[in-house]
Amino acid sequence: MAAPGVTTLTDVDAGRVPPALRGILPVLIALPVLALAEVLLGASPFATYLLSVVGVNIILAVSLNIVNGMTGQFSIGHAGFMAVGAYIAGVTSLSLKEVALSFLPVAASDQVLFTVALLAGGTCAALCGFLVGLPSLRLRGDYLAIVTLGFGEIIRVVVQNTEAFGRALGLSGIPQYSSVAMVYFWVFLVVLVARRIAGSSHGRSLWAIREDEVAAEAMGVDTTGYKVRAFVISSFFAGIAGGLFAHFVPIINPGSFTFVKSMEIVVMVVLGGLGSTTGAIVAAIFLTLLPEGLRSLFGALGAEGSLAQKVDQIRMPVYGLLLVVLMLARPQGLFGTKELWDVLPRWLPRKKKGLT
Amino acid sequence: MSTVAAAPAPGDALLQASGVSIRFGGLKALTDFNLTVRQGDLLGLIGPNGAGKSTAFNVLTGVYQPTEGEVRVAGQRVNGWVPHQINHLGLARTFQNIRLFRALTALDNVKVACRAQGGLHPVRLGPMAKAATAMRNYRDWWRALLLTPGFQAEERELTRQAEHLLEVMGLSHRRDEEAKNLPYGEQRRLEIARALGTRPKVLLLDEPAAGMNTREKADLMVLIRRLRDEFSLGVLVIEHDMKLVMGICERITVLDHGETIARGAPAEVRSDRKVIEAYLGDSYLESHGGAA
Amino acid sequence: MSQLLQHLINGLAAGTIYALVALGYTMVYGVLKLINFAHGDVMMVGVYMGYATAFALGRQAQRSLWGVVVIFAVAMVGCALLGFLIERFAYRPLREKPRLTALITAIGISFALSYGFQLDIGFLPGASPRAFPEVITPSEWFIIGDRDVVIWNWQVISFLIAVGLMAALQFLVYRTRFGKAMRAVSYDHRTAALMGIPTDRIIALTFMLSSALAAGAGLLYAIKDTSVSPLMGLYVGLKAFVAAVIGGIGNVPGAVVGALLLGLVEEFVVGYAASTWRDAVAFAFLILVLLVKPGGLFGRVAAEKV
Repeated sequence: MAAPGVTTLTDVDAGRVPPALRGILPVLIALPVLALAEVLLGASPFATYLLSVVGVNIILAVSLNIVNGMTGQFSIGHAGFMAVGAYIAGVTSLSLKEVALSFLPVAASDQVLFTVALLAGGTCAALCGFLVGLPSLRLRGDYLAIVTLGFGEIIRVVVQNTEAFGRALGLSGIPQYSSVAMVYFWVFLVVLVARRIAGSSHGRSLWAIREDEVAAEAMGVDTTGYKVRAFVISSFFAGIAGGLFAHFVPIINPGSFTFVKSMEIVVMVVLGGLGSTTGAIVAAIFLTLLPEGLRSLFGALGAEGSLAQKVDQIRMPVYGLLLVVLMLARPQGLFGTKELWDVLPRWLPRKKKGLT
Repeated sequence: MSTVAAAPAPGDALLQASGVSIRFGGLKALTDFNLTVRQGDLLGLIGPNGAGKSTAFNVLTGVYQPTEGEVRVAGQRVNGWVPHQINHLGLARTFQNIRLFRALTALDNVKVACRAQGGLHPVRLGPMAKAATAMRNYRDWWRALLLTPGFQAEERELTRQAEHLLEVMGLSHRRDEEAKNLPYGEQRRLEIARALGTRPKVLLLDEPAAGMNTREKADLMVLIRRLRDEFSLGVLVIEHDMKLVMGICERITVLDHGETIARGAPAEVRSDRKVIEAYLGDSYLESHGGAA
Repeated sequence: MSQLLQHLINGLAAGTIYALVALGYTMVYGVLKLINFAHGDVMMVGVYMGYATAFALGRQAQRSLWGVVVIFAVAMVGCALLGFLIERFAYRPLREKPRLTALITAIGISFALSYGFQLDIGFLPGASPRAFPEVITPSEWFIIGDRDVVIWNWQVISFLIAVGLMAALQFLVYRTRFGKAMRAVSYDHRTAALMGIPTDRIIALTFMLSSALAAGAGLLYAIKDTSVSPLMGLYVGLKAFVAAVIGGIGNVPGAVVGALLLGLVEEFVVGYAASTWRDAVAFAFLILVLLVKPGGLFGRVAAEKV
């Protein structure tokens, strides 16, 4: 294995790109691609919905991987941060519904407001991440698991007791600003951030913490500080994912962000390989499309509706067993700490090792 | 680093433990431990198993907090500090049971250490200075995320430093290999390279020769001396192998049951009655051979 | 005043039940340094075993003294067996692997049990809660004033059972050879093995013991709540775990004190604030304790051996 994640996605042709451009180049490439995708897919509501769900799950898995994979901590309350983002962004959008930026066309004005709402949600989630992470990350790893789990519960109870969040009924009527392009722009951003962290000295410090916390501390790595920062970044993107989610589903309620959702993300990260960004992406796509596919399959076979419902029911215990089997048989997941291009067959072009 | 006062003069104590005691519950693991390391020193810390040598290391590096007494690094009192802060003052260590970042390459192991320096972290400063450091810290993350040219240059500089250290330790050919795949002796050397990456003033080596053969030990003795001179270090070595300790250390402190039972030049220590008793009492035959 | 007294009684009654579950977490953590996430769900399975037994016995028998004894015995023995199986086949193969692997496994088992029991396939009970039979016919034993303070018979009985079980545990851990071996394993299982202590057997027995205690506690909880559901393990288990951490995980008296405290705090929040906040209280309390005293009330933050 190469050092886990020593290069960024764009370093493949790093030699040819001037240093000043390397920071921004991926964005320049991504934007037209996203615009094209939007034009091609805009027509089919089902494809749009499915792709959006996949995208949100990718954001969640990749961001969780920063904490659970790269840093070797174990958070199991990611859905809690998603909920914070979803509700804050949702409420922001609802309260700005009547506002339009007069100097912009309506569609552009909506997207600006959408972005504001998303950032508000992400920031609040990051703040929660800081508040929860600071006490528990000072302690040994397993405390984080239990505290994040508890945090999810606290969020659920707070939402159920707050009028502005629609209590148990949930929040409906949030303007449907989201688009495939917007979702995948954030997918792109989180992947870029994860890869650049992995390839930078900050990432190396995180890997060091994962490998041996005592040694990292002795070598001058501020382990608590790094853990908290990784946690904050991770929560931020979970909040963004929640915000996106809130803008393409008809209603959000506390039931969308339970422990089950957190577990789903954990399973994605563990299946993909703790520490592998591309692994998290592949697992997120697979685990999102599989139940959808099975459901459509049963539907197409004309099975009575209950069978299609069973897919949803069986999913949960299967996730649990999958974790156990994975840990016993292949604890490193699909890719381990490697990335997709490290495990591709030999004849495909590979990246050279090391940074620059 | 703004936190360290003016560079200490050659004669100043870089590391000083005065009257340090540590108790775990009722057990006194270390009693009234005194030690001074200056630049250019090459000191030894010996004693039978369970004498408190590693405990002493752990107190000095901030892993344990002293129950009594104080530890000073570069003139700064460090009681209550955490290990990374103490490391930033210029104290680096290796571990008895090798603790490398096993899945990282040799190069990255050293780069982690090189990077962690540079005054990025607040070391017990006023609130204003702390805020400033925090700001710098966040700016630094942004620079990494945006891959600014300055950041890329920094990364190249880190690589260069780390490569230099690998070369010094004779590990250049292992640059891109994972630490866990290195042979045992090279892992020990990589640990020293990593410790040097933090640009220490004092280097603490915890049984650096453990598991090495005679030939490797001889090389190690030469190497330790060379490092001390090349990097202007003070070195403190914990070692079981009496020959090695007697061979390179200029002064030796002997611990037994957490108490300092002897201190002085190798020749004095060797003939000290208490030392011989402590070792023979534990039927430590190898050392008996060394002492005879 | 009388209201305060009533809350105190209810809080202590709830706390003793948490304590029994919390002891299981603490004991397993003691020997394996593993947070046995599935502990609460093992408890839930035990309650269903008791539930099935009660039905098999029929309305008449389940209320007799021997009926109650049989229900408890079946649940506790069944759970001990389940605990043994989980330890043998899921945790033991991972004992020398990184701690995270075992933690993930534990979470997986917890998930598989709590959601597996929600399926309505075959013998599995399905998601909706069921009424737990009144094996102890509720009656008011002590009444002060005009129903100002009421103590129910089941509160007293469950308190006595819980205290009895705890006393038995205390005896077992500190007065028997098994307890001595257990404490040795908890101190350092490799050295214990070198000293001729059958580490595997001790760890397995610890699991069985903690699972049996959990089954007992779960039944008491179900009697109190008069209901049983697949998710009860998750909630009761989590709170008991919080109690164990508050007391200082790995510390036996700490777990009991933490559980009693948690029971009281919850009861007072329900009584004086709002019952809808009940589920958040435990975790808010946990975060608070971790902020102020990271090792828990009686625990120390163990420095890792370097």
